[in-house]
Amino acid sequence: MSKTAKLTLLGILFLILMAAPWMLNSYVLQILILTITYSMLGLAFAFTLKVGLPRFDIAGWWAVGAYTSALLMQKAHLSFWLTIPAGIIIAVALGWLIFSVAIPRGMMVFLLFGMVIVLAVEQIVGSVSFFGGWGGTGMLPHPTIAGYTIIKKPDLYYMGLFFLIVNILIYYLLYNSKIGRAWNAIGSSVKLANSVGINVVRYRMANVLIGNVFLAVAGSYFVAYSSVVAPSTFSFPNSVNIMMYVVIGGISYSLFGPLVGAAIITFIPEYFRIAKEKEPIFTAIAIILIIILMPAGVIGIFDRRAIPWFKRVRWLSWFTNKAKES
Amino acid sequence: MSRLLECNGLSKNFGKLQAVANLDLTIAKGEIRGLIGPNGAGKTTVFNLLTGYYRPTGGKITFKGEDTTMLEPYQIAQKGLTRSFQQNFLFMQSTVLENTLTGFHMFCRAGAVKEFLHTRGAREFDRECREKALEIIDFMGLSPMKNELAGNLPHGHQRALGVSIAMACNPSLILLDEPVTGMNPTETEEMMTRIKNIRDRGITVVLVEHSMQLVMNICDRLTVLDYGQKIAEGLPEEIRRNPRVIEAYLGKEENSAAA
Ligand SMILES: Nc1ncnc2c1ncn2[C@@H]1O[C@H](COP(=O)(O)OP(=O)(O)O)[C@@H](O)[C@H]1O
Ligand SMILES: [Mg+2]
Repeated sequence: MSKTAKLTLLGILFLILMAAPWMLNSYVLQILILTITYSMLGLAFAFTLKVGLPRFDIAGWWAVGAYTSALLMQKAHLSFWLTIPAGIIIAVALGWLIFSVAIPRGMMVFLLFGMVIVLAVEQIVGSVSFFGGWGGTGMLPHPTIAGYTIIKKPDLYYMGLFFLIVNILIYYLLYNSKIGRAWNAIGSSVKLANSVGINVVRYRMANVLIGNVFLAVAGSYFVAYSSVVAPSTFSFPNSVNIMMYVVIGGISYSLFGPLVGAAIITFIPEYFRIAKEKEPIFTAIAIILIIILMPAGVIGIFDRRAIPWFKRVRWLSWFTNKAKES
Repeated sequence: MSRLLECNGLSKNFGKLQAVANLDLTIAKGEIRGLIGPNGAGKTTVFNLLTGYYRPTGGKITFKGEDTTMLEPYQIAQKGLTRSFQQNFLFMQSTVLENTLTGFHMFCRAGAVKEFLHTRGAREFDRECREKALEIIDFMGLSPMKNELAGNLPHGHQRALGVSIAMACNPSLILLDEPVTGMNPTETEEMMTRIKNIRDRGITVVLVEHSMQLVMNICDRLTVLDYGQKIAEGLPEEIRRNPRVIEAYLGKEENSAAA
């Protein structure tokens, strides 16, 4: 695709996203709002995978952002907009403390620390009564702009879209800069990256902390549309869930993979609502099928450089070969 | 001639195995030094010690008059000592040009913010890096495949690309770990010529090789390792006639013939 074609396509996509509130009911908008949140979480996972580190702690930092916003608004009556930088500062400072121990010790230690972080955050916000306990903190105030309360679905949707676009833009610029090149190098070979003078620990740290910034923002955004923050939202299974939909979207597509994956994972269960309590079974089957049939993710199907999906599945390629022979 | 690299009493133990034992080594500026010895003699371990990938069990390393014994690999690279690897460590999913550009990491600094915002200054810098990278690619004979993915290259070209990446770091000393293994005689001949040309650019070279014959012609001096010990050092003709060296190599051949 040429550059103009790409830009036109992006422009059209943007217009569709801007027009969405006029075309969709508030129920679908609510799902889109979830998609936006999950996209930001997935982007953070793919972002740090670039430097060869799988993050299991996504939900933990998301919680840090959410709880900071919720508590500061409720207990200190701070404006929502001020709680966003507060969440960022806490996520980055805490992250720096923890990761200066974990990152120099390599991928496995980082991975284990990630698991401990999610579990610890869930335990802390659940068992310390200051955070509202296992039932969570409810009755959260709504964000306002110049006296106007942001409470309607379209407004919340636009707010999320704004955060998401800023997130994507900054990641895009980073990926295409010298920093991005160094990250790529680290992701493909730590040894070789070292040998060309890349300070692997520092570049990994920068990556993880930038990831934390947007995770905290995603947490604040969650507070804006949700009336409750509760530990169960930020649990370990949810962290694993994020990984799963990044794989579904296409793990090698750092920007669009998480978006497509998040859209699929939020909409699939809706389609199976008719199956009532059997919905999780159908969703699971759908996900397993996607992973088996599309090893390069859903985007992989449309990527001409990737091997066509039907050639990757052995029994299917056997079938197509037979078809060619006859 | 001035000393570029010096190590004294360098040792490395892996458990009970003494991979490098009490090694003294001095590399002079502008030479091509061959570090030879049978397989398992400890040559790669010496490289890993010099470039910070392994911490020595004992001894001291001095590069350009500075103690580099405890430095990290990236710090040593920043001081101008780079290496290629015995295995083909490359950025397999990137093109030859991108691989070589990664080697410029330490230089093309337009400033983080400018770089991030893709200002004109940054793009200018990018173009300069690209030109320099293309020059190195050309120098290593990789021009025809500059846009190929590294993973799709034949073995010989992958070895050459490994050297290109190291060259892009603008080193004063380059360590090449068996740059010609797995190459056919023509490719080997070409690589040897290139190594001479690297030296003629003012870069000091240390070359690891297990076959003595290959390095005889191009090295100024040879150092021979066996079981982690330095058993001989000197001019190629001296080494060729050295009885201890002959014994070490013959002993190994008998062993491998028996095995
Ligand atoms: N990381 C390591 N752990 C344990 N033993 C090692 C390690 N690296 C090398 N060795 C051992 O040290 C000895 C020297 O190895 P090496 O330096 O690779 O030899 P060469 O490069 O001369 O063929 C060998 O016996 C090898 O098995
Ligand atoms: Mg070796």
